[in-house]
Amino acid sequence: MNEMSSAQTMAPNADGVKIAIRNLNFYYGSGNPSLKNVNLSLLTNKVTAFIGPSGCGKSTLLRVLNRMYELYPNQRAEGEVLLDGQNILAPGLDVNLLRARVGMVFQKPTPFPMTIYENIAFGIRLYEKLPKSEMDGRVETALRGAALWGEVKDKLDASGLSLSGGQQQRLCIARTVAIKPEVILFDEPCSALDPISTAKVEELMDEMSTSYTIAIVTHNMQQAARISTKTAFMYMGEMVEMDDTDKMFTSPAQKRTQDYITGRFG
Amino acid sequence: MNPLYAPRRRKSKIAMALCLGATIFGLAWLTLILFTLFWNGFAGLSVALFTQMTPPPNAQGGGLLNAIVGSLILTLLGIGIGAPIGVFAGTYMAEYGRFSKITSVIRFINDILLSAPSIIIGLFVYGAVVVPMGGFSGLAGALALAVIALPVVVRTTEDMLLLVPTQLREAAVALGMPRSYMIRKITWRAARVGLVTGLLLAVARVSGETAPLLFTALSNQFWSVDLLKTMANLPVTINNFINNPDPNWKRLAWAGALLITLAVLSLNIVARSLSGGRNPK
Amino acid sequence: MTDMILQEGAAAAPTNVWRAKALASFKVGDSVFKLLAQIAAATVLLVLGGIIISLIIGAWPAISTYGVDFLTTQRWAPNARPNPVLGGLGPIYGTLVSSLIALLIAVPVGLGISIFLTELCPQWLRRPVGVAVELLAGIPSIIYGMWGFFVLGPMLADTIEPAIVDAVADIPILNVIFAGPASNLSLFNASLVLAIMILPFVTAISRDVFNTVPPVLKEAAYGLGCTTWEVVRRVVIPYTRVGVIGGVMLALGRALGETMAVTFVIGNSFRITGSIFGPGTTISAAIASEFAESRDLHQSALILLGLLLFVLTFFVLAAARLMLMRLERKQGI
Repeated sequence: MNEMSSAQTMAPNADGVKIAIRNLNFYYGSGNPSLKNVNLSLLTNKVTAFIGPSGCGKSTLLRVLNRMYELYPNQRAEGEVLLDGQNILAPGLDVNLLRARVGMVFQKPTPFPMTIYENIAFGIRLYEKLPKSEMDGRVETALRGAALWGEVKDKLDASGLSLSGGQQQRLCIARTVAIKPEVILFDEPCSALDPISTAKVEELMDEMSTSYTIAIVTHNMQQAARISTKTAFMYMGEMVEMDDTDKMFTSPAQKRTQDYITGRFG
Repeated sequence: MNPLYAPRRRKSKIAMALCLGATIFGLAWLTLILFTLFWNGFAGLSVALFTQMTPPPNAQGGGLLNAIVGSLILTLLGIGIGAPIGVFAGTYMAEYGRFSKITSVIRFINDILLSAPSIIIGLFVYGAVVVPMGGFSGLAGALALAVIALPVVVRTTEDMLLLVPTQLREAAVALGMPRSYMIRKITWRAARVGLVTGLLLAVARVSGETAPLLFTALSNQFWSVDLLKTMANLPVTINNFINNPDPNWKRLAWAGALLITLAVLSLNIVARSLSGGRNPK
Repeated sequence: MTDMILQEGAAAAPTNVWRAKALASFKVGDSVFKLLAQIAAATVLLVLGGIIISLIIGAWPAISTYGVDFLTTQRWAPNARPNPVLGGLGPIYGTLVSSLIALLIAVPVGLGISIFLTELCPQWLRRPVGVAVELLAGIPSIIYGMWGFFVLGPMLADTIEPAIVDAVADIPILNVIFAGPASNLSLFNASLVLAIMILPFVTAISRDVFNTVPPVLKEAAYGLGCTTWEVVRRVVIPYTRVGVIGGVMLALGRALGETMAVTFVIGNSFRITGSIFGPGTTISAAIASEFAESRDLHQSALILLGLLLFVLTFFVLAAARLMLMRLERKQGI
């Protein structure tokens, strides 16, 4: 079984690249590929945004990075995705371990049907046996890390579902962070939230970016411009252009990128 | 007014009157049945029902204690065997095998088993258990009830698990959770109300079944808790009492029928209120 | 405070080793759980297979002794010497006739009730009546049987049946079908009890089926000025036709296999008399009354009857299920 211990990886983060995607093709069933020959890199502890019209494949790409697609039959990926130099698409890889290293926050907040405390502790318990005092500390840490502690510290025994939409999403972020991943994937995390909650989550992502490698898929170009260092524009399953965010939004190289950003289509 | 309209209106009124009539007709019969049941059943109710054994024919008094206890044992054992298998089968169909063809085959077969004549189940268990064992037994009866409960639990489990949103599963898996852990701790937990409802419905279904017990557990006039021998139970006891003109037995039969009906109705009502009106048929 | 905590995320490498160890402890349990689920799912198929096999094995002596004649012989004499003469025609006839009559009564009434529930019934009454119907569908069949034996049978035999016998006494075919003497125990009584028993079931299923019609469709028809009956006849029923037929066949499947509702009132006679006011038997009633004490060829013949019943209900239920699946697919479920 392939354990992903650091001893085996090649020069991790040598050039600041956390995840390198090489010649990635993705298929739903037997038709045309939904991702065509994608090549890009995610830099360590930086935020990379993925933008593009609906159906361009950005969510599909994200879901390759933690092999979430494997839950469903007839979906397969070809190519290489190197996490710290190790190909995570290799068969025989421990997928559960991969997902502990690469966390995901979804579009719709999905708190588990448990108390707020349990939502966090649950993931931690998968990997560590902690005495109660230590677990309490970890839960508090995670909730503080999601800027939620102040709002829920008096009701840790309340159901996770009793929180507002924005709070639930921050709970999901806290839950993800609690198991100490290296990469966090955000799949349109604010599209179901009101503007105030959105602002809070964006602020959170900004603070988190120094400690985690973050990839975010978003429909909101202003959001991408606000929080990301690098931006990738995708169209019809292909990576059209990827560059520093400032440059992408002021003077992109490709005409298609320019058209999308100025609202000509999409 | 349009001359064509009057006859159309008349036709509709007649049709709707017939429908109303059908409703009254149907509900009247059913009210009559329940009324008869409650009237005769309550007349036979007494403390002795729960403290004395079934009497011999043409005696006075007596109760249904051994039959009640026997029924409880058989039902509990039958559910105890059939329900876990049903939950795991439903889990396979909704989780591991959700997209596979074999799941649709299993669902189809399960639905047929759900409505199959229960006397056939009795014949099956007779051939598979009673004959090899060399005699009737409570165990055979419990197994027959387990076979009756199985399709009910499979169906409700699969239906309830399918209602759990996929995103919840994905969120759990995204933390690195192994599949079985996710199913046990997240999916089952999210569906727990529905699963309990299914269990209650299975108990209700099993409580009223007579035919499968007729030649598996048979019945017993005396106190019987030995699973390897015939076991007293309410439905078969009632069946035996009816076939005899003894008025004492007739009184007890109605009381027993009332007990069964009350049990079945309360289980259904509890299940219904738990699931908030959603109908897991 | 936030910065200090978030920096923990950077210390990744050593954690992966013990994380892998923690996950490894799940491996066995994970596989066992999956295996249990697979075995349980297979059990459903095994039960069906088991039923078929045990029925065939049990019925084999009777099959090899009587062959196809079993289906055409009326005589049922388990104690005949030197060999029992056993023919299944009586029970088969009784099963088919009683189910048919039960359907003829229950289906129109049941459809009428569901039309009432979906179109006419005031809103506040719908839920209570609907719930009442569903609860009634759950009442054990032995209750119906008891009631039929103690109440309905005598009532019919004393009042309606003699009246009908007299009324058709001179009409050629009818006076054979409805010939007297009226009795507490007869095919007709059993059919009636069966009809009342499957009534809640027909109602519940057809109401559910009628509720699948999109309200927009009905509103469009009402908007054109259609009367209620016209909406039902021209929109609801055509839209749900397949589902209604499926529901009826499901009810037929139940009726064919019903035991306790008919056993007490049917009279247990294996001879076909031509009059439905006379005693008869059904397959399940025959098995219920004779199986416990039967042996050898007699028992095998009863199992053969069970096999025939199973095959019949299997096909009816399979057809019903296919039709209901067609309706669900139409809805886009």
